[in-house]
Amino acid sequence: MPPVVAAGVSFTLRGAAVRVHNFDYHTGDTFNVMMEPHSTQVEPRHDPRAVRRARLDAACRELVAATERGEGGRAALKQYSHRVDALIQQLFSEAGVAAQAVGVFALGGYGRRELCLHSDIDLLVLFADPIGDPDERFLHAFLNPLWDLGLTVGHHVREVGEGARLADDNPEFILAITDARPVAGDATLLDDFIGATDAARMASRTLDALKALIAERHARFNDTLYQLEPDVKEAPGGLRDLFGALTIAKLTDPVLLSQGGSGPRVLEDAEEFLLRVRSILHHAAKRHNNVLSHELQEEAAERFGYAGATPRQRVERLMSDYFRHARAVDRTLRWALRAAPQPIGPNLVLAGEGVRFLDVRAAADRPETWLAVFVEAIERGRAVSDETLACIQQHAGRFTAEEFLPTPAHRDALLRFLRPRPGLYARLSDMHDAGLLGQMFPEFKAISCRVVRDFYHKYTVDEHTLLTIRNLERLTEAGPDRARFGRLLAELERPELLVLALLFHDVGKWRDDDHASESARLARLMFDRLGLDEDARAVIDFLVVHHLKMSVAAFRRDTEDPEIVRQFADVVGFEERLKLLCLMTLADVEAVGKETLTPWKEELLWRFYVDTYNYLTLAYGDEVIERNQTALAELIAQREPDLSARDIEEFLQGLPRRYLQSFSREAVYRHVRLSRGLPPGAIQAWIERKNSEWELTVLTRDRPFLFSNISGVLSSFGMDILRGFAFTKPDGLVVDMFHFTDKERYLELNPGGDARIVRMLDEVIAGRTDVAARLEGREAGAFRRPLPGFAPVIHCDNESSRRYTIVEIVAENALGLLFRMSRAMSDSGCDVDLVLIATEGRRAIDVFHLTRQGAKLSTAQQQEVIGNLHRVLEGRP
Amino acid sequence: MKLIKSIVRPNKVDDVKGALEKLQISGMTVTEVRGHGKQKGHTAIYRGQEYNVSLLPKMEIEIVVPDSIVHDAIKAIMEAARTGEIGDGRVFVLPVEETYKIRTGEKEVY
Repeated sequence: MPPVVAAGVSFTLRGAAVRVHNFDYHTGDTFNVMMEPHSTQVEPRHDPRAVRRARLDAACRELVAATERGEGGRAALKQYSHRVDALIQQLFSEAGVAAQAVGVFALGGYGRRELCLHSDIDLLVLFADPIGDPDERFLHAFLNPLWDLGLTVGHHVREVGEGARLADDNPEFILAITDARPVAGDATLLDDFIGATDAARMASRTLDALKALIAERHARFNDTLYQLEPDVKEAPGGLRDLFGALTIAKLTDPVLLSQGGSGPRVLEDAEEFLLRVRSILHHAAKRHNNVLSHELQEEAAERFGYAGATPRQRVERLMSDYFRHARAVDRTLRWALRAAPQPIGPNLVLAGEGVRFLDVRAAADRPETWLAVFVEAIERGRAVSDETLACIQQHAGRFTAEEFLPTPAHRDALLRFLRPRPGLYARLSDMHDAGLLGQMFPEFKAISCRVVRDFYHKYTVDEHTLLTIRNLERLTEAGPDRARFGRLLAELERPELLVLALLFHDVGKWRDDDHASESARLARLMFDRLGLDEDARAVIDFLVVHHLKMSVAAFRRDTEDPEIVRQFADVVGFEERLKLLCLMTLADVEAVGKETLTPWKEELLWRFYVDTYNYLTLAYGDEVIERNQTALAELIAQREPDLSARDIEEFLQGLPRRYLQSFSREAVYRHVRLSRGLPPGAIQAWIERKNSEWELTVLTRDRPFLFSNISGVLSSFGMDILRGFAFTKPDGLVVDMFHFTDKERYLELNPGGDARIVRMLDEVIAGRTDVAARLEGREAGAFRRPLPGFAPVIHCDNESSRRYTIVEIVAENALGLLFRMSRAMSDSGCDVDLVLIATEGRRAIDVFHLTRQGAKLSTAQQQEVIGNLHRVLEGRP
Repeated sequence: MKLIKSIVRPNKVDDVKGALEKLQISGMTVTEVRGHGKQKGHTAIYRGQEYNVSLLPKMEIEIVVPDSIVHDAIKAIMEAARTGEIGDGRVFVLPVEETYKIRTGEKEVY
């Protein structure tokens, strides 16, 4: 029997490459190895070094023998790579038991199993967790014997966690890792390592790195492959170019090289030839040499057995073949560089025909990946390829609505996709034509090609619906004639909800009767499926139910009648909904027919919008909650047990009716409870997280400078106040609410930070701390370059309200702005009774309702307030 | 024959049409127009900034009727379009000398 070698049972069998089952003593795993070539020396049984040396020598001799026959090509190099694999597996098992999961992976040429005689052995050693001292010891025990054998080892040591930053690693490494394959240890670590990074970004980075390296390398050879003494690895048309083309195909489109260039078979021949030459060069030079010098050209021609009477003739034939193969490689690489699609997502590329799946068959069974095609197409301003649309069309019917959007992340992606912007209509139309929209929203299917005969509509219901979305998307690039509506769209907090509402506004037309309520019923079926939050549901429900109200009022009612405006304002409740409904009306009317929305109608709509907006922001103070109001009766009827009808009545009486539209029933009950018996000087305040924003609610009794103190405290903690309001009841009870962002992440990073802000409120309101002093440092840094051509607007209005003088201010938002403005008003002796706060981009739009000693301000007093406001807005003392 | 040209509030068009139909007047031309009369528009405020709305959206209704029903037609328009507020509009009555039917080229002289 042949001798037994370490690390498993192995038989010597001359020249054979037979797979046998082997057993690892340490891990208990079984694995496959190639049978070892015969060693001519007797392997000392008890000297592992000698055994390793003998194994390596035998492997080298095997490769040399093939090389000398001129057969050092793919098969021989693959064999040699297997021998080295076995050696590394042996060293790995002899290095001792690792303290944690570890895997060894072959990279680069070794990863491709094309290891040449004197090539570097590139290894990646991956640890599952952070590397400690025992791991260092393991590493030395594993690597030292490789160095002792005289091998040149290029090793990279990484932790799996570092995979997340892989795309930012050095270009050579990310390129080498495209050929990585497991050799020893835990093979799954590589998937974890690579899986942690964004695949598309990684592929894109790898491609960029590859292109840069190719350009740099070609420049070194003066960008020509016709070298008299070519470097078969580095020169244009050499092995690196060949692997470059293969890598581009691997990263972008596996069938790329069969579609152009020299073709796969010619490329295989070139590879075999170049590898055989390279093996000869390594063997002849006895080192890592890839230059086919004149001297070595003769030897190579000899080994290949070229015909010819003289060495010169033989060399000419060799070089003629070399240039033929190099040209084939060069042609293929150029094709790959030119035609490769750009990876833009998992299984997603951008090609000449647009965005498409890389692997259509794989995509066919992954409906949750389909939306990404349309998202990317919009983001990149490109079409979706016909092949991809055909795939979706063919398979869409196999899946339920839920299967397209299985996780919250998918549902969020859909909402982001629906944000109006150029391309949305075209992509939604693609989705509709491919049957995807109807599968994703089964309610929409019922109106596909639905014809409703009336005097107005020019298109089928589904196309009318999609056109409403196109009209909205066009507003994002509106010219001067539509700029005012474009601004409204830009101001919306969640414009995607408007698109969703438009998508559903006419789905009820599958029936012939009242379609608005049927549309709303169908829209509600979608709410759970999309996991929409309560606010989103309320907005969409409101828009679908009332989608005809504004056009009826604006075009068919006497909009100069204040009662019509008041009634409509009651329906919409607050400004955001007014903007939504106004834009919905514009988009809907325009989608009825090409000439339906005339400039005249636009003007009517805009004026009605402005009148309603002014009513909501300027006149709401006069509309207070009264005893006989339906909403009040409902609140009392459904009250919680610890609250009496009187508690609720007393709390609500005198508050603007807008209060009821601003808070949920639960919030109202909480306010009633906390305000009961609230002594003068006490405050009830709390901060809650609202998605990406925060909300501060304050209940207290009115006193001078109250509003400016509250806004000042928030600013002193670096908070950016976005929206909010302040309501003051005639009996002095104040309900304030502020929505703000915390850019410095104070609340997130400081547990108990909310309590600290509330304590500071208490301190400042009680007069124990001066908020102006706290703000000074911050304000100094907050003044920034003003918006070009943007001067603050201050408008005083004594007409819109019976009870209040209204000051409307539009100014560039800045830290502490509300504090400074409200303080200026209080300094002028005014009571700040009601405030509406809004922010649109960098503009702050604030409306203050003021009184002075219980009455409206006189003209002189208004001038004083305006003067003081200008002073603080301009930063004058 | 008279041409009666009425400038009315947009929301009153349907009422005026209804009233004219009762007089068997069905042919009419309705146009969206903008303008002002004594009302001269007004200044509106949006977000603290004034903007001029001097040209108000109105509807123009044109009918051509025999002299015999001119007064009934005017009365019907006035009643249907009136709210009693400023901005109710105007009615103009113009003589019509001749009309042509474009399809047949037929001329009618009054």
